[in-house]
Amino acid sequence: MRFKASIQNITTFTKFTASLNSLGPLAWVKLSDDQVCFTIIPEQGTQVWAVLSIDTIFETYTVQSAANNVINLEVPLTSLNRALKSALNATSAQIRLTKKDNLPLLALTIVTASNSNSHAAFPTNGGNNGDDGLRQTPLDGSLGGGNRETIVTQEVPVRVLAPDTVAGLHEPQCREPDVHIILPPLMQLKSISDRFTKLALAGTKAGAGSAASRTRLEMAANMHGCLRMSIRTDAMSISSVWTDLNNPELDPNQVAGGNIGIAEHPSTRMKLLGTADGRSEEGWATVRIDGRDWGKVMSVGRLGGRVIACFCHEHALILYVYLPSDNGEDESVLTYYVSSYSA
Amino acid sequence: MVVLNFTLTPEAAAKVHDLLVCLGKFSDTVAIEARRERFTFTALNSSKSAYAALSLDAKQFFASYECIPTQGGPDGRFTCSMYTKALLSVFKGRLYDPLGRDGAIDKCVVTLQDKADQTECRFIIKMVCNQGVIKTYKLTYEATDVMHALFDRNVAKNRWSMHSGAMKEYIEYFGTKTEMLDIVAGEDGRAVFKSYTEKISNGKEILKHPLVTAVAVNTSDFDEFNVQPGLHIIISVKDFKSIVLHAETLKTSLKAYYSQPTRPLQFSYGSDGLLCEFTLMTSGDYNAAPSATPAAPTMSRANSRAQSTTTDRSDPRSSRNEMPPPIEPASRQPARQRRNPVGSRANAEPKPAQPDPDSLFVQQNEDEAAWEPLDYNNEEETLGWDASMEAGSAVFPTFRDSASFSRTDSANSSEAIAPTQRVSQVKGLW
Repeated sequence: MRFKASIQNITTFTKFTASLNSLGPLAWVKLSDDQVCFTIIPEQGTQVWAVLSIDTIFETYTVQSAANNVINLEVPLTSLNRALKSALNATSAQIRLTKKDNLPLLALTIVTASNSNSHAAFPTNGGNNGDDGLRQTPLDGSLGGGNRETIVTQEVPVRVLAPDTVAGLHEPQCREPDVHIILPPLMQLKSISDRFTKLALAGTKAGAGSAASRTRLEMAANMHGCLRMSIRTDAMSISSVWTDLNNPELDPNQVAGGNIGIAEHPSTRMKLLGTADGRSEEGWATVRIDGRDWGKVMSVGRLGGRVIACFCHEHALILYVYLPSDNGEDESVLTYYVSSYSA
Repeated sequence: MVVLNFTLTPEAAAKVHDLLVCLGKFSDTVAIEARRERFTFTALNSSKSAYAALSLDAKQFFASYECIPTQGGPDGRFTCSMYTKALLSVFKGRLYDPLGRDGAIDKCVVTLQDKADQTECRFIIKMVCNQGVIKTYKLTYEATDVMHALFDRNVAKNRWSMHSGAMKEYIEYFGTKTEMLDIVAGEDGRAVFKSYTEKISNGKEILKHPLVTAVAVNTSDFDEFNVQPGLHIIISVKDFKSIVLHAETLKTSLKAYYSQPTRPLQFSYGSDGLLCEFTLMTSGDYNAAPSATPAAPTMSRANSRAQSTTTDRSDPRSSRNEMPPPIEPASRQPARQRRNPVGSRANAEPKPAQPDPDSLFVQQNEDEAAWEPLDYNNEEETLGWDASMEAGSAVFPTFRDSASFSRTDSANSSEAIAPTQRVSQVKGLW
């Protein structure tokens, strides 16, 4: 069993692991010849199934194993993210699977070159001294002047999963969505949904039993470019409506049944209902989700991908996050499965 | 009667803040030892594995300094101990601010009220602020024995020194929650700082094991590196981080002195009349070091614990130059590590400034923290009226509706949500 790669896009990889880490501490990572899959299946809440093309994050990638060159690992995301963070200024970073004291681990070898000026690039300990920046004296040549090369190795403990262990894990199946829509910038969505949730929680004691039902966000969208987010408690009802969003056209090659399939697609029916100003009560596909869980999902916004939300009325919300790629071919997609509460 | 009066410039007061923050990571109380020619803060952690002595030079550090102990002539001293937190609430951050913003002071005047004929003994600190405001704090203190850890640098043949700025870079690579730091002098021209935790692994727990981080540095990047090749020495990573972070506030070089594992190690640094010395217990394989170190531990019968109280003196120890320290009698040092119990979980991580949590409007800065899920449990939020004038007027300039209406600064971002309606268009209410 061998896995070795150099990390090509450290920033993306770091943000990616940070986004996943907000949903769960452990990821099932499946390394194969042509793609890398990260899957988070938390005990409750949203599942993520992410498929990355190799060159989204790696280059010179080799993976070998007795099981069709597939390696399945269980990886603690906090440690992996922490390790990757130390590579943000690296000149090169390598990752490989190895063993120490008979325990498997992912070892990152990071080479950083810093010159004497680089200290300023690190945040000063501003928590204690607001004036640090002012007191900073220019560093003299006593640092040795030239470049310093530092090699950092980070060892992330992992568990190797047998093929049998992961054989039972399947991506959720879902019916064809009623509405699909491109979401507005996630930072907008996140700050508003965070605010809603906060308002709904205001005045409740932390851990009170009723808190869970209070943070129920209602998300709805129609096929006329409208997205509505609302929250309701005994004391209030707030909602925000976005209009002029984009409902992407379905591609006949991707839909079962081609053109006929599209004609019979639920979204085609939904197009006949509702209006573009979002005032009509008809034509909405609605899901009820947990505000806190939604906040964790929104964490993916840092990757800056295009997000298509698919609404299955009263059933589930599925988000497809497409990572920007250089060559435009092998797209990397993160799929979030958010299930709807019945009430 | 003890006389102790001194005055600090804002810069010096800010340094006192920094050093108290550092000492607070070792112990809840700091001991103070005032002598005629210097003023020393000391701290010993609860497991007695780390001792810190930070001396302020009477002439260099203070704007003025006067100390006349009751007894003891030139060698006399006054000692007491105080809660680190109490001192920190007086020596707050931002005491020194050239722009004179909130919290900045003009000077800091300290006097000791310790007279037999008075009922109250107090440590009186006056912060003279701008516009003639004077904040006076009266702190209680406790008479105490101040003990010093002895450290014989002649025995500590292994030495290195490096700029604290570079050191700080290295400690930032370390994972959180690790316990030990192994400093290895490699034989290939590199020194390795390795942070790790003793194995506790079994089964599933293994994934909770903290990161193991090794930072390999060319020995040529050190200002000085003179360590027996192959030598491992292990200290607490938390202590090391606290020390490096403080040294970095002074922008100086950090020097290390040690002999072999299980013998104390000393870090030393300082500038402008401030001398900091930390003496730490070490562990590691005693035998592993091929004892080429000729200096057999002639550890001076360590335990000369000097003692004194406010009344009692009789301190034969003379000048500080030969002072060094640990009180840890060599025999008391457990060969194995007992680690890291130090009380306060003071969190030194620099926290990014939080965006205004009350704003409904989208932040403009692409701050990573903004993407983190909100922690609703930790936030103490109650709905209330925001009484602050400026906040109100910035967010919603209610009655200033005019042709040139512009939503103040936050409107520039393309991501911001524009106001949906002008106040002038609202009929009926006003």
